[in-house]
Amino acid sequence: MERVLIVGAGAGGTMLANALDPRRFEVTVIGASADHLFQPGLLYVAFRGASARRLARPERQLLRRSVRFVQEAVTRIDLNRHSLTTAAQQQFDYDTVVIATGVVTDRAQIPGLAAWGERIGDYHSTVAEAQKLWRALAAFRGGTIALGQSTPLIKCPPSPIEGILLTDALLRRRGRRAQSKLVFLTPYPRAYPAEAMNAILEPVLRARGIEIRTVFDVDQVDAASGAIRSLEGDTLACDLPILIPPFAGAAITYEPAGVVDNDRLLKTDKTTLRVQGVEHAFALGDATNLPTSKAGVGAHLEAKVIARQLNGEAAAFSGRTHCPVDLADGRGTFVIGSYAAAVVPCRPTRMRHWMKMAMARIYWISLRGWLEPMFDWYFARTAPEKLAGGATARP
Amino acid sequence: MANEADAQKTLVDARGSSCPGPITDLAMAYRRAKKGDVIELWGTDPGMPPDVKAWAEKTHNEVVSIETQADKIVAVVRILNR
Repeated sequence: MERVLIVGAGAGGTMLANALDPRRFEVTVIGASADHLFQPGLLYVAFRGASARRLARPERQLLRRSVRFVQEAVTRIDLNRHSLTTAAQQQFDYDTVVIATGVVTDRAQIPGLAAWGERIGDYHSTVAEAQKLWRALAAFRGGTIALGQSTPLIKCPPSPIEGILLTDALLRRRGRRAQSKLVFLTPYPRAYPAEAMNAILEPVLRARGIEIRTVFDVDQVDAASGAIRSLEGDTLACDLPILIPPFAGAAITYEPAGVVDNDRLLKTDKTTLRVQGVEHAFALGDATNLPTSKAGVGAHLEAKVIARQLNGEAAAFSGRTHCPVDLADGRGTFVIGSYAAAVVPCRPTRMRHWMKMAMARIYWISLRGWLEPMFDWYFARTAPEKLAGGATARP
Repeated sequence: MANEADAQKTLVDARGSSCPGPITDLAMAYRRAKKGDVIELWGTDPGMPPDVKAWAEKTHNEVVSIETQADKIVAVVRILNR
Protein backbone atom coordinates (compact mmCIF):
# COMPACT_ATOMS: atom_id res chain seq x y z
CA MET A 1 0.00 0.00 0.00
CA GLU A 2 1.21 3.47 -0.82
CA ARG A 3 1.70 5.57 2.31
CA VAL A 4 0.25 9.07 1.84
CA LEU A 5 0.99 11.59 4.57
CA ILE A 6 -1.16 14.73 4.63
CA VAL A 7 0.21 17.55 6.76
CA GLY A 8 -2.64 19.84 7.82
CA ALA A 9 -6.25 19.11 8.70
CA GLY A 10 -8.14 22.01 7.13
CA ALA A 11 -10.60 21.86 4.24
CA GLY A 12 -8.07 20.72 1.61
CA GLY A 13 -6.28 18.09 3.73
CA THR A 14 -9.52 16.60 5.00
CA MET A 15 -11.16 16.44 1.57
CA LEU A 16 -8.11 14.82 0.03
CA ALA A 17 -7.84 12.21 2.82
CA ASN A 18 -11.49 11.26 2.31
CA ALA A 19 -11.12 11.12 -1.48
CA LEU A 20 -8.35 8.50 -1.54
CA ASP A 21 -9.31 4.84 -1.97
CA PRO A 22 -8.54 3.03 1.33
CA ARG A 23 -7.82 -0.19 -0.61
CA ARG A 24 -4.92 1.47 -2.39
CA PHE A 25 -3.63 4.07 0.04
CA GLU A 26 -2.64 4.07 3.68
CA VAL A 27 -3.59 7.64 4.59
CA THR A 28 -2.38 9.57 7.65
CA VAL A 29 -3.45 13.12 8.44
CA ILE A 30 -1.29 15.10 10.88
CA GLY A 31 -2.96 18.22 12.26
CA ALA A 32 -1.86 20.63 14.97
CA SER A 33 -5.38 20.99 16.39
CA ALA A 34 -7.96 18.38 17.42
CA ASP A 35 -10.72 20.66 16.12
CA HIS A 36 -11.49 21.73 12.56
CA LEU A 37 -12.63 25.35 12.15
CA PHE A 38 -15.01 26.59 9.44
CA GLN A 39 -12.94 29.74 8.84
CA PRO A 40 -15.47 31.82 6.83
CA GLY A 41 -17.70 31.80 9.93
CA LEU A 42 -15.32 34.17 11.77
CA LEU A 43 -16.75 37.07 9.71
CA TYR A 44 -20.17 36.71 11.36
CA VAL A 45 -18.73 36.16 14.83
CA ALA A 46 -16.86 39.48 14.50
CA PHE A 47 -19.50 41.64 12.79
CA ARG A 48 -22.81 40.09 13.85
CA GLY A 49 -21.93 38.55 17.20
CA ALA A 50 -22.90 35.12 15.83
CA SER A 51 -22.44 32.08 18.04
CA ALA A 52 -19.21 30.16 17.46
CA ARG A 53 -20.73 26.92 18.75
CA ARG A 54 -21.24 25.41 15.28
CA LEU A 55 -18.00 26.68 13.74
CA ALA A 56 -15.76 23.83 14.90
CA ARG A 57 -15.99 20.04 14.97
CA PRO A 58 -13.52 17.35 16.04
CA GLU A 59 -11.35 16.50 13.02
CA ARG A 60 -11.51 12.78 13.85
CA GLN A 61 -15.27 12.77 13.16
CA LEU A 62 -14.78 14.40 9.76
CA LEU A 63 -12.39 11.76 8.41
CA ARG A 64 -13.26 8.30 7.09
CA ARG A 65 -12.57 5.62 9.66
CA SER A 66 -9.76 4.15 7.55
CA VAL A 67 -7.79 7.41 7.74
CA ARG A 68 -5.36 7.67 10.63
CA PHE A 69 -5.45 11.04 12.42
CA VAL A 70 -2.51 12.22 14.51
CA GLN A 71 -2.78 15.42 16.52
CA GLU A 72 0.77 16.79 16.50
CA ALA A 73 2.57 19.92 15.32
CA VAL A 74 5.01 19.13 12.51
CA THR A 75 8.35 20.90 12.89
CA ARG A 76 10.53 19.48 10.12
CA ILE A 77 9.93 17.85 6.74
CA ASP A 78 12.86 16.21 4.97
CA LEU A 79 11.67 15.97 1.38
CA ASN A 80 14.85 14.20 0.29
CA ARG A 81 14.54 11.37 2.82
CA HIS A 82 10.72 11.20 2.76
CA SER A 83 10.36 11.71 6.46
CA LEU A 84 8.97 14.27 8.88
CA THR A 85 9.39 15.07 12.54
CA THR A 86 6.85 16.44 15.03
CA ALA A 87 7.27 18.70 18.07
CA ALA A 88 7.08 15.56 20.25
CA GLN A 89 10.03 14.11 18.26
CA GLN A 90 7.90 11.46 16.57
CA GLN A 91 9.07 10.52 13.09
CA PHE A 92 6.82 9.55 10.17
CA ASP A 93 7.98 8.14 6.83
CA TYR A 94 5.98 8.37 3.62
CA ASP A 95 5.84 7.49 -0.05
CA THR A 96 3.98 10.70 -0.94
CA VAL A 97 3.52 13.82 1.19
CA VAL A 98 0.88 16.50 0.71
CA ILE A 99 1.48 19.79 2.49
CA ALA A 100 -1.81 21.49 3.39
CA THR A 101 -0.86 23.44 6.50
CA GLY A 102 -2.58 26.71 5.61
CA VAL A 103 -1.14 29.99 6.89
CA VAL A 104 -1.12 31.76 10.24
CA THR A 105 -1.66 35.45 10.87
CA ASP A 106 1.44 37.34 11.93
CA ARG A 107 0.79 40.79 13.45
CA ALA A 108 4.48 41.29 14.24
CA GLN A 109 5.17 42.22 10.59
CA ILE A 110 3.46 45.62 11.05
CA PRO A 111 4.76 47.85 13.88
CA GLY A 112 1.95 48.72 16.29
CA LEU A 113 -0.43 46.06 14.99
CA ALA A 114 0.26 43.60 17.81
CA ALA A 115 -0.77 46.19 20.42
CA TRP A 116 -4.03 46.96 18.57
CA GLY A 117 -4.74 43.30 17.88
CA GLU A 118 -4.35 42.61 21.58
CA ARG A 119 -7.04 45.23 22.25
CA ILE A 120 -9.55 44.75 19.42
CA GLY A 121 -8.78 41.34 17.83
CA ASP A 122 -9.30 40.59 14.12
CA TYR A 123 -11.47 38.34 11.94
CA HIS A 124 -8.77 36.30 10.19
CA SER A 125 -7.18 34.48 13.13
CA THR A 126 -9.24 32.56 15.69
CA VAL A 127 -12.71 32.45 17.25
CA ALA A 128 -11.38 34.26 20.36
CA GLU A 129 -9.93 37.09 18.23
CA ALA A 130 -13.18 37.44 16.27
CA GLN A 131 -15.16 37.61 19.53
CA LYS A 132 -12.77 40.31 20.76
CA LEU A 133 -13.47 42.36 17.61
CA TRP A 134 -17.21 41.96 18.17
CA ARG A 135 -16.85 43.34 21.71
CA ALA A 136 -14.81 46.29 20.39
CA LEU A 137 -17.49 47.07 17.78
CA ALA A 138 -20.27 46.70 20.34
CA ALA A 139 -18.52 49.22 22.61
CA PHE A 140 -17.98 51.73 19.76
CA ARG A 141 -20.00 54.89 20.33
CA GLY A 142 -18.90 57.00 17.34
CA GLY A 143 -15.79 58.35 15.64
CA THR A 144 -13.72 57.00 12.75
CA ILE A 145 -13.35 53.33 11.88
CA ALA A 146 -10.71 52.45 9.29
CA LEU A 147 -10.84 48.93 7.87
CA GLY A 148 -8.59 47.27 5.36
CA GLN A 149 -5.84 44.78 4.69
CA SER A 150 -2.42 45.51 6.17
CA THR A 151 -0.52 43.80 3.31
CA PRO A 152 -1.33 43.30 -0.38
CA LEU A 153 -1.56 39.53 0.04
CA ILE A 154 -4.27 38.19 2.37
CA LYS A 155 -6.59 35.19 2.53
CA CYS A 156 -10.06 35.66 1.05
CA PRO A 157 -9.61 38.88 -1.02
CA PRO A 158 -13.31 39.91 -0.70
CA SER A 159 -13.21 39.83 3.11
CA PRO A 160 -12.14 43.49 3.61
CA ILE A 161 -15.15 44.67 1.58
CA GLU A 162 -17.44 42.31 3.48
CA GLY A 163 -16.00 43.63 6.77
CA ILE A 164 -16.63 47.32 6.00
CA LEU A 165 -20.14 46.66 4.63
CA LEU A 166 -21.07 44.61 7.70
CA THR A 167 -19.64 47.35 9.96
CA ASP A 168 -21.83 49.89 8.15
CA ALA A 169 -24.91 47.67 8.59
CA LEU A 170 -24.13 47.14 12.28
CA LEU A 171 -23.77 50.87 12.98
CA ARG A 172 -27.02 51.60 11.13
CA ARG A 173 -28.88 48.98 13.18
CA ARG A 174 -27.49 50.47 16.37
CA GLY A 175 -28.35 54.04 15.34
CA ARG A 176 -24.66 55.04 15.41
CA ARG A 177 -23.97 55.53 11.72
CA ALA A 178 -24.52 59.31 11.78
CA GLN A 179 -21.83 59.72 14.47
CA SER A 180 -19.37 57.49 12.60
CA LYS A 181 -17.03 57.92 9.67
CA LEU A 182 -16.08 54.74 7.82
CA VAL A 183 -12.87 54.62 5.79
CA PHE A 184 -11.97 51.67 3.57
CA LEU A 185 -8.22 51.26 2.98
CA THR A 186 -6.71 49.30 0.12
CA PRO A 187 -3.21 48.96 -1.33
CA TYR A 188 -4.79 48.61 -4.80
CA PRO A 189 -5.69 51.40 -7.24
CA ARG A 190 -9.42 50.63 -6.63
CA ALA A 191 -11.65 49.14 -3.94
CA TYR A 192 -11.58 45.60 -5.35
CA PRO A 193 -8.46 44.45 -7.23
CA ALA A 194 -10.30 42.68 -10.09
CA GLU A 195 -11.74 45.41 -12.33
CA ALA A 196 -14.90 43.55 -13.40
CA MET A 197 -16.03 43.09 -9.80
CA ASN A 198 -14.82 46.51 -8.69
CA ALA A 199 -17.33 48.01 -11.12
CA ILE A 200 -20.05 46.28 -9.10
CA LEU A 201 -18.66 46.63 -5.56
CA GLU A 202 -17.21 50.16 -5.46
CA PRO A 203 -20.60 51.86 -6.14
CA VAL A 204 -22.07 49.84 -3.24
CA LEU A 205 -19.43 51.22 -0.86
CA ARG A 206 -19.99 54.78 -2.11
CA ALA A 207 -23.77 54.48 -1.81
CA ARG A 208 -23.33 53.61 1.85
CA GLY A 209 -21.20 56.66 2.54
CA ILE A 210 -17.94 54.76 2.94
CA GLU A 211 -14.80 56.75 2.10
CA ILE A 212 -12.33 54.80 -0.06
CA ARG A 213 -8.56 55.38 0.27
CA THR A 214 -6.78 53.62 -2.60
CA VAL A 215 -3.05 52.82 -2.90
CA PHE A 216 -2.74 52.95 0.88
CA ASP A 217 -0.16 50.36 1.83
CA VAL A 218 -0.03 50.05 5.61
CA ASP A 219 3.43 50.69 7.06
CA GLN A 220 2.63 51.03 10.78
CA VAL A 221 -0.09 51.76 13.33
CA ASP A 222 0.40 54.15 16.23
CA ALA A 223 0.06 51.91 19.27
CA ALA A 224 -1.55 54.69 21.33
CA SER A 225 -3.69 56.77 18.94
CA GLY A 226 -4.57 54.19 16.28
CA ALA A 227 -3.38 56.48 13.45
CA ILE A 228 -2.27 54.46 10.42
CA ARG A 229 0.74 55.44 8.35
CA SER A 230 1.26 54.23 4.78
CA LEU A 231 4.42 53.31 2.90
CA GLU A 232 3.56 56.19 0.58
CA GLY A 233 3.88 58.60 3.53
CA ASP A 234 0.17 59.36 4.22
CA THR A 235 -1.32 59.29 7.72
CA LEU A 236 -4.93 58.45 8.57
CA ALA A 237 -6.24 59.32 12.02
CA CYS A 238 -8.84 56.87 13.34
CA ASP A 239 -10.34 55.58 16.58
CA LEU A 240 -10.65 51.94 15.58
CA PRO A 241 -8.05 50.55 13.13
CA ILE A 242 -9.49 47.20 12.00
CA LEU A 243 -6.62 45.77 9.97
CA ILE A 244 -6.41 42.28 8.53
CA PRO A 245 -3.01 41.05 9.71
CA PRO A 246 -0.28 39.78 7.38
CA PHE A 247 0.25 36.03 7.31
CA ALA A 248 3.07 33.54 6.97
CA GLY A 249 3.26 29.84 6.15
CA ALA A 250 3.50 27.27 8.94
CA ALA A 251 6.66 27.32 11.08
CA ILE A 252 8.16 24.18 9.54
CA THR A 253 11.81 23.66 8.60
CA TYR A 254 12.13 22.11 5.15
CA GLU A 255 14.95 20.13 3.63
CA PRO A 256 15.83 21.43 1.03
CA ALA A 257 15.20 24.92 2.44
CA GLY A 258 14.62 26.42 -1.02
CA VAL A 259 11.13 24.88 -1.43
CA VAL A 260 9.56 27.83 0.43
CA ASP A 261 9.56 31.55 -0.45
CA ASN A 262 10.01 34.64 1.80
CA ASP A 263 6.53 34.18 3.30
CA ARG A 264 7.23 30.47 3.97
CA LEU A 265 4.79 29.49 1.18
CA LEU A 266 5.57 26.32 -0.78
CA LYS A 267 6.80 26.92 -4.32
CA THR A 268 4.16 24.90 -6.11
CA ASP A 269 3.62 24.07 -9.80
CA LYS A 270 0.44 25.92 -10.66
CA THR A 271 -1.23 23.11 -12.59
CA THR A 272 0.24 19.83 -11.26
CA LEU A 273 0.45 21.15 -7.64
CA ARG A 274 3.76 19.37 -7.15
CA VAL A 275 6.30 21.06 -4.89
CA GLN A 276 8.94 22.43 -7.26
CA GLY A 277 12.22 20.61 -7.45
CA VAL A 278 11.38 17.55 -5.32
CA GLU A 279 9.75 14.19 -6.01
CA HIS A 280 6.61 12.75 -4.37
CA ALA A 281 5.49 15.99 -2.73
CA PHE A 282 2.39 18.06 -3.40
CA ALA A 283 1.04 21.22 -1.80
CA LEU A 284 -2.46 22.68 -1.74
CA GLY A 285 -4.55 25.54 -0.38
CA ASP A 286 -3.27 28.60 1.46
CA ALA A 287 0.12 26.92 2.11
CA THR A 288 1.11 27.35 -1.57
CA ASN A 289 2.42 30.32 -3.56
CA LEU A 290 -0.11 29.71 -6.38
CA PRO A 291 -1.13 32.88 -8.23
CA THR A 292 -4.79 32.60 -7.23
CA SER A 293 -6.98 33.65 -4.29
CA LYS A 294 -6.39 31.97 -0.96
CA ALA A 295 -9.88 30.59 -0.31
CA GLY A 296 -11.64 27.33 0.54
CA VAL A 297 -12.79 26.74 -3.02
CA GLY A 298 -9.17 26.57 -4.20
CA ALA A 299 -8.24 24.02 -1.54
CA HIS A 300 -11.31 21.97 -2.50
CA LEU A 301 -10.55 21.89 -6.23
CA GLU A 302 -6.83 21.34 -5.65
CA ALA A 303 -7.55 18.34 -3.40
CA LYS A 304 -9.48 16.78 -6.29
CA VAL A 305 -6.62 17.38 -8.73
CA ILE A 306 -4.10 15.74 -6.38
CA ALA A 307 -6.41 12.76 -5.68
CA ARG A 308 -6.74 12.10 -9.41
CA GLN A 309 -2.99 12.29 -9.97
CA LEU A 310 -2.36 9.86 -7.11
CA ASN A 311 -4.84 7.54 -8.84
CA GLY A 312 -2.66 7.70 -11.95
CA GLU A 313 -5.01 9.94 -13.92
CA ALA A 314 -4.04 13.15 -15.69
CA ALA A 315 -5.42 16.21 -13.94
CA ALA A 316 -4.54 19.91 -13.89
CA PHE A 317 -5.65 22.75 -11.62
CA SER A 318 -7.28 25.58 -13.57
CA GLY A 319 -6.74 28.32 -10.96
CA ARG A 320 -10.49 28.57 -10.53
CA THR A 321 -11.84 31.00 -7.92
CA HIS A 322 -15.43 31.24 -6.75
CA CYS A 323 -15.31 33.51 -3.71
CA PRO A 324 -18.59 34.64 -2.13
CA VAL A 325 -19.12 38.30 -1.20
CA ASP A 326 -21.78 39.35 1.34
CA LEU A 327 -23.08 42.86 0.56
CA ALA A 328 -24.73 43.09 4.02
CA ASP A 329 -28.10 44.00 2.50
CA GLY A 330 -29.44 40.49 1.90
CA ARG A 331 -27.62 40.18 -1.43
CA GLY A 332 -24.48 38.31 -2.32
CA THR A 333 -22.24 37.80 -5.31
CA PHE A 334 -19.19 35.75 -6.31
CA VAL A 335 -15.72 36.54 -7.63
CA ILE A 336 -15.30 34.02 -10.44
CA GLY A 337 -12.12 33.65 -12.47
CA SER A 338 -9.27 31.26 -13.35
CA TYR A 339 -5.69 31.32 -14.62
CA ALA A 340 -6.95 31.51 -18.20
CA ALA A 341 -10.06 33.65 -17.74
CA ALA A 342 -10.15 37.13 -16.22
CA VAL A 343 -12.67 37.72 -13.41
CA VAL A 344 -16.20 38.00 -14.83
CA PRO A 345 -18.91 40.41 -13.66
CA CYS A 346 -21.40 38.69 -11.36
CA ARG A 347 -24.55 40.58 -10.38
CA PRO A 348 -25.46 40.60 -6.65
CA THR A 349 -28.69 38.70 -5.90
CA ARG A 350 -30.56 37.33 -2.90
CA MET A 351 -30.08 33.83 -4.28
CA ARG A 352 -26.30 34.20 -4.22
CA HIS A 353 -26.39 35.38 -0.62
CA TRP A 354 -28.50 32.36 0.26
CA MET A 355 -25.91 30.14 -1.44
CA LYS A 356 -23.12 31.56 0.71
CA MET A 357 -25.19 30.91 3.83
CA ALA A 358 -26.06 27.39 2.63
CA MET A 359 -22.34 26.58 2.24
CA ALA A 360 -21.86 27.08 5.99
CA ARG A 361 -24.41 24.33 6.57
CA ILE A 362 -23.27 21.83 3.94
CA TYR A 363 -19.56 22.37 4.65
CA TRP A 364 -19.23 19.45 7.05
CA ILE A 365 -20.74 16.86 4.73
CA SER A 366 -18.95 18.34 1.73
CA LEU A 367 -15.66 17.42 3.47
CA ARG A 368 -16.65 13.77 3.13
CA GLY A 369 -16.95 14.12 -0.65
CA TRP A 370 -20.63 13.17 -0.76
CA LEU A 371 -21.66 16.34 -2.57
CA GLU A 372 -19.04 16.14 -5.34
CA PRO A 373 -21.53 15.45 -8.17
CA MET A 374 -23.42 18.62 -7.18
CA PHE A 375 -20.22 20.70 -6.98
CA ASP A 376 -18.98 19.34 -10.34
CA TRP A 377 -22.26 20.34 -11.96
CA TYR A 378 -22.29 23.76 -10.31
CA PHE A 379 -18.67 24.67 -11.08
CA ALA A 380 -19.06 23.57 -14.72
CA ARG A 381 -22.21 25.69 -15.04
CA THR A 382 -20.49 28.76 -13.57
CA ALA A 383 -17.10 28.39 -15.35
CA PRO A 384 -15.67 31.87 -16.10
CA GLU A 385 -14.99 30.88 -19.72
CA LYS A 386 -18.73 30.28 -20.11
CA LEU A 387 -19.76 33.44 -18.34
CA ALA A 388 -17.33 35.73 -20.21
CA GLY A 389 -18.46 37.71 -23.21
CA GLY A 390 -20.97 40.03 -21.59
CA ALA A 391 -23.25 37.47 -19.97
CA THR A 392 -23.57 37.76 -16.21
CA ALA A 393 -23.46 34.65 -14.07
CA ARG A 394 -26.60 32.76 -13.16
CA PRO A 395 -26.70 31.08 -9.78
CA MET B 1 19.54 56.16 1.95
CA ALA B 2 20.53 53.20 -0.18
CA ASN B 3 23.54 53.39 -2.39
CA GLU B 4 22.85 53.02 -6.12
CA ALA B 5 25.43 50.26 -6.23
CA ASP B 6 23.30 48.20 -3.81
CA ALA B 7 20.23 48.49 -6.04
CA GLN B 8 18.75 45.16 -6.99
CA LYS B 9 16.71 43.95 -9.90
CA THR B 10 13.85 41.63 -8.97
CA LEU B 11 11.82 39.55 -11.40
CA VAL B 12 8.22 38.97 -10.29
CA ASP B 13 6.30 36.37 -12.29
CA ALA B 14 2.54 36.94 -11.92
CA ARG B 15 1.50 35.18 -15.11
CA GLY B 16 -1.89 33.49 -14.77
CA SER B 17 -2.93 35.63 -11.83
CA SER B 18 -6.27 37.34 -12.43
CA CYS B 19 -7.60 37.68 -8.89
CA PRO B 20 -6.21 39.35 -6.86
CA GLY B 21 -3.96 39.96 -9.88
CA PRO B 22 -0.42 41.09 -10.77
CA ILE B 23 -0.76 44.36 -8.83
CA THR B 24 -0.70 42.29 -5.62
CA ASP B 25 2.65 40.82 -6.56
CA LEU B 26 3.99 44.26 -7.49
CA ALA B 27 2.83 45.74 -4.17
CA MET B 28 4.38 42.82 -2.25
CA ALA B 29 7.70 43.32 -4.08
CA TYR B 30 7.49 47.06 -3.29
CA ARG B 31 7.29 46.29 0.45
CA ARG B 32 10.58 44.43 0.24
CA ALA B 33 12.30 46.88 -2.11
CA LYS B 34 14.58 49.79 -1.35
CA LYS B 35 15.19 53.04 -3.16
CA GLY B 36 16.83 52.50 -6.55
CA ASP B 37 15.67 48.89 -6.95
CA VAL B 38 14.11 47.80 -10.22
CA ILE B 39 11.13 45.43 -10.30
CA GLU B 40 10.34 43.58 -13.52
CA LEU B 41 6.75 42.31 -13.41
CA TRP B 42 5.41 39.63 -15.75
CA GLY B 43 1.69 39.14 -16.08
CA THR B 44 -1.07 38.02 -18.41
CA ASP B 45 -4.00 39.98 -16.95
CA PRO B 46 -5.14 42.60 -19.50
CA GLY B 47 -5.81 45.07 -16.67
CA MET B 48 -2.13 45.11 -15.75
CA PRO B 49 -0.82 48.12 -17.79
CA PRO B 50 -3.32 50.73 -16.48
CA ASP B 51 -3.02 49.30 -12.95
CA VAL B 52 0.76 49.53 -12.93
CA LYS B 53 0.60 53.13 -14.21
CA ALA B 54 -2.02 54.16 -11.64
CA TRP B 55 -0.11 52.44 -8.85
CA ALA B 56 3.23 54.04 -9.81
CA GLU B 57 1.69 57.49 -10.07
CA LYS B 58 0.12 57.30 -6.62
CA THR B 59 3.15 55.73 -4.94
CA HIS B 60 5.55 58.15 -6.71
CA ASN B 61 7.57 55.41 -8.38
CA GLU B 62 8.70 55.34 -11.99
CA VAL B 63 7.38 53.14 -14.79
CA VAL B 64 10.44 52.54 -16.97
CA SER B 65 8.52 50.54 -19.59
CA ILE B 66 5.41 48.46 -20.21
CA GLU B 67 5.47 46.11 -23.14
CA THR B 68 2.80 43.71 -24.38
CA GLN B 69 4.52 40.64 -25.82
CA ALA B 70 3.01 37.59 -27.52
CA ASP B 71 2.77 35.52 -24.35
CA LYS B 72 2.97 38.07 -21.55
CA ILE B 73 2.96 41.70 -20.46
CA VAL B 74 6.25 42.99 -19.05
CA ALA B 75 6.38 46.09 -16.83
CA VAL B 76 9.63 47.53 -15.46
CA VAL B 77 9.28 49.80 -12.43
CA ARG B 78 12.04 51.75 -10.66
CA ILE B 79 11.51 52.35 -6.95
CA LEU B 80 12.07 56.01 -6.09
CA ASN B 81 9.94 56.35 -2.97
CA ARG B 82 10.86 53.93 -0.25
